[in-house]
This record gives sequence, C-alpha cells and structure tokens, in this order.
Amino acid sequence: MERHLALSARGVQMEYRDRQSGRRLLALENVDLEVPDGAFVSLLGPSGCGKSTFLKIVNGLLRQTAGEIKLHRVAKGREDAMVFQDASLFPWYTVTDNVAYGLVCAGASRSAARERAQPYIDLVGLKGFGDKYPYQLSGGMQQRANLARALAVDAAILLMDEPFASLDAQTRELMQAELLRIWNAARKTVLFVTHQIDEAVFLSDRVIVMAARPGRVIADITIEIPRPRTLEVKRTPKFQEYEEQIWKLIGGQYEPAAGATAS
Amino acid sequence: MAATTPLPRAAGSPFTWLRAAIGERLFYGLIGLVVVVVAWESTARMGLYKQTLMSMPSSILRVAMEDVTNGSIWPHIWVSSQEFAIGFVVSLVIGIPLGLAIGLFRRVDYLLSGLLAGLNATPNVALIPLIILIFGLGIEAKAVVVFLSAFFAVVVTTFSGVQSTARRHLDITRSFGGSPWLGFRTVVLPSTLPFIISGIRIGAGRALVGVVSAEILSANVGLGFYIALKAQFLDVARAMFGIIIFGFLGLVIGEGVRAIERRFEVWRPDLHH
Repeated sequence: MERHLALSARGVQMEYRDRQSGRRLLALENVDLEVPDGAFVSLLGPSGCGKSTFLKIVNGLLRQTAGEIKLHRVAKGREDAMVFQDASLFPWYTVTDNVAYGLVCAGASRSAARERAQPYIDLVGLKGFGDKYPYQLSGGMQQRANLARALAVDAAILLMDEPFASLDAQTRELMQAELLRIWNAARKTVLFVTHQIDEAVFLSDRVIVMAARPGRVIADITIEIPRPRTLEVKRTPKFQEYEEQIWKLIGGQYEPAAGATAS
Repeated sequence: MAATTPLPRAAGSPFTWLRAAIGERLFYGLIGLVVVVVAWESTARMGLYKQTLMSMPSSILRVAMEDVTNGSIWPHIWVSSQEFAIGFVVSLVIGIPLGLAIGLFRRVDYLLSGLLAGLNATPNVALIPLIILIFGLGIEAKAVVVFLSAFFAVVVTTFSGVQSTARRHLDITRSFGGSPWLGFRTVVLPSTLPFIISGIRIGAGRALVGVVSAEILSANVGLGFYIALKAQFLDVARAMFGIIIFGFLGLVIGEGVRAIERRFEVWRPDLHH
C-alpha cells in the first residue's frame, strides 16, 4: 500500500552560540527522518540529544540553522499540533476553553471553538469535567486535556513532547494505554519524544534512538509487536529484547571509556 | 466559609451563633476592634494619660454624632473622595497601559524606566509646593498629588506582571499559530491580572496617603484639612474622628479590591477556600 509521508526532514541542523564562551554548540547534527502517514514514531534519547529541539523545529517554535522540513498538508486545519510537557494548560481557563484554544488560535470564535472541542473532551475521557479549572484536575487528567487540545485542531501530525514525564508510574502506564486507544480512534500520525525506553517501545511503530553532543540519530528500530497492544505486552520476551537492544545503544553513551562511540 | 468551620460543642451560645452568622473573618476582626476600643476607653478613664491629648472612644463617638447630624463633616468627606477618585482613576487609566507597554516592548522599557525610577525616588511631599504653584489650591492640585502617589505602584506592579508571564504559556499561542495580539489578550492579560490587582491595592493605599499629605499641607476643605485644623485647636476627639474616617475608607477600598479579585480570579485555588 502506498503511504504518504506525514513528515520528512533532510539534514536538519541546529547550532547555538554559547553566550559566555562564544563557542558553537551543535544541538542537532544532520538529522534525516521520514514519518509515514498514520505511523507512531518515537524519538528516544538522553537529555541533551536534541529530541525536544527537533520537535520544536517541526512545530515552528524554533528555526533550524540548516536543513529542510516538509509537513504533509491537509485540506483543513494545521499541519501539526503540539502536546506539551506538564503545566501547559492555562490556569485561567476551564478545561473546555483550554481544549478549544487551538481552534481559537486558528481563528474560530470562542463559542464555535467550544462546541467543536466537545467531542475531543469526551474522546480523552474528560466527559463532565469541561467546567473544571486545571488546578481541580489530577496530573493525568491535565495531560488528557492537553492531548485533547492538540487533537481538536485536527492536524495531520501530533507532536508530543514527553507528555507523561511528570506523572507517577501507574498513571503513566494508564495514560500510555489510553494514548494508544485514542490514537487508534483518531487515526493520527504521532511523533513522540521520550527518554523512557519502555514507553517508546510500547507505543511506537518505530523508535528513533538519538545520542547527545552533538545531537544525532544513531538508530532507527522498527517495533514488530502486533497491535492492538495492551500493557501485558511489556512482560513478553520480545518486548524485553527491544528494551535490551535500545538500552545497549543508549547505555553505551554513558560509559566513560575513551573512544567508545556507539554508531 | 462558615459552613466548613467545625461546630464547637457549646453550640447555641450567642458567640457561636454570631460567628456562624457573619463568618470567622468578620467575627475575629470585630473582636480585635472591640478589644482595642475597650482598652482605650478604660485606660483613658483610669487616667493613665491625659485625655486631652489622646481622647477616648466615647468622646470621639459623641463629636462624631454631632458633626454627622449637623452635617459639617460631609463636605470634607466629599471633597477628599473626589480628590481620591480623580487622582486614582487617572493613575490607573495611564499607569496600567503604560506598565503593559513597558513590559511588552523592550524599547519602551529603555525609554521610560530611567525617568520613572528617578521620579519615583523623589518624595512626593517634596513636589507638593510646586504642584500647588502650578495647579492652585483647589481639587486639581490634590488630585495631581494623589495621581503621583499611586501612579508608580500601578506601573511597576503591572510591568512586573507582564515580565513574569510564563514562557511556556506564550509558546502555546505561537505553537497553535495564534497572533501576538491573541497572545496578549489570552495569555499576557490574564496572567498579569493578579499583579494589576496588587497594583490597585497598593496604589489605593498610597493615594489615600496622598490625599492626607496634600490636604494637611494646604487646603481649606477636606478630611486632611479637618484633621490638621482640629489638632491645632486641641480638639483631639475630632482629629481622631477624621483619622478614623480615613481608616474606614481604607478598609472599604481594600474590601472593594478583594471583591474584584474574587470576581476575576476564580481560577486561583488560593483565593476561594
């Protein structure tokens, strides 16, 4: 089956100049990436590998210093929508107004946006919480609202920046399973950034492993675990093999031994 | 509030009933007031100090009733209120937009913050003779003093509110393709609002001080003038009465600001428990 590309990146580079030392820092070096329509792809790596930076470049919050990014255009709505890390809801808005905000940004009136947000509030499991303020929600529920806001703009690709990083272990697992359910229902392409190996393996069709200094891609691993997946999958030998394989790729970077670069 | 207070065992006593009826905040506030009034009255009656210099609550109440019933206090309250209202409202109308502009635009900040800091460092009282020279002895001069007293607090708190707007919130508008104007309306303004309200509260206090200092230095009507005049004639009870009116006005303004705060900030968990 011919699949369109939702995202293609060629030779993306991000260079900073350190204010104090004046030295150049390469946050991203020559990153190539193709994400087919409908795929769930994770960017995995230690802090400083540039995975969040890459996501922000795709989203347009940052501008790369070299290279090219192409997003598949859809008839309506934005090409991409970001699900941010924790505490990204506006505390002065109710859940409904927060979820509707992406649509307001796209030019919808407040009442039209609120109406269109409603099905997504239900989809992420927040039915009946529309009039609550963020401080009245648990961390997991806040991230559901955060996800609904990104879903509501009906973008071709969802960019998720460690959305579950601040949740406790149980809630995180629950949200991972929920995300797969929602992904299945909403049929979106997802580019998911995480530093947790099991999260990446569990969710993804492909895991892109990155390394730091300079930030670069060191491996592209296809996860051949059939869907639908439930949390039990994490206890299977196949799952653990993937974890082991990726752990070795990442673990290699932490070894202080000289000359040993994983590639 | 009262509903969440656990009922003590002595339910049915008048105090418990009163506390439940008016709320804990007002109840204990009244107790504080009663204690001070009783202590003042009794020490004065015991002759611990000269009543002519300190007066006492019952005398103040008596002269207060006189001045209220013969109407002589009203013009003073009216004029002071006008001076306060004009000066304070103008300080908000100019100060809030200016604080927003300084916070939003780096170049406006560079252009004005030096000037404002310099003017702010000048004690307002030092400017009063000059202001009287320029604006005369009427309400205008006092309104200008009130304006100057409140203005800086309003500008500075508004400005620091804009500065403290969370980067991650601003990024959300950009991320979803919203315009800077939308970001201003939906992010900068709501997150600055608590600071603006602080500015209003602090500014109102400074504005009251401005009214008194301007009127004490030069006026022929107004509460500050009333206080200064009565003190000169050793009519301590009336001077105290004037001071108490000021305190009361301050209290009313403070409660007004609290009401605004509750109205606009239902999303702040610390404000409605």
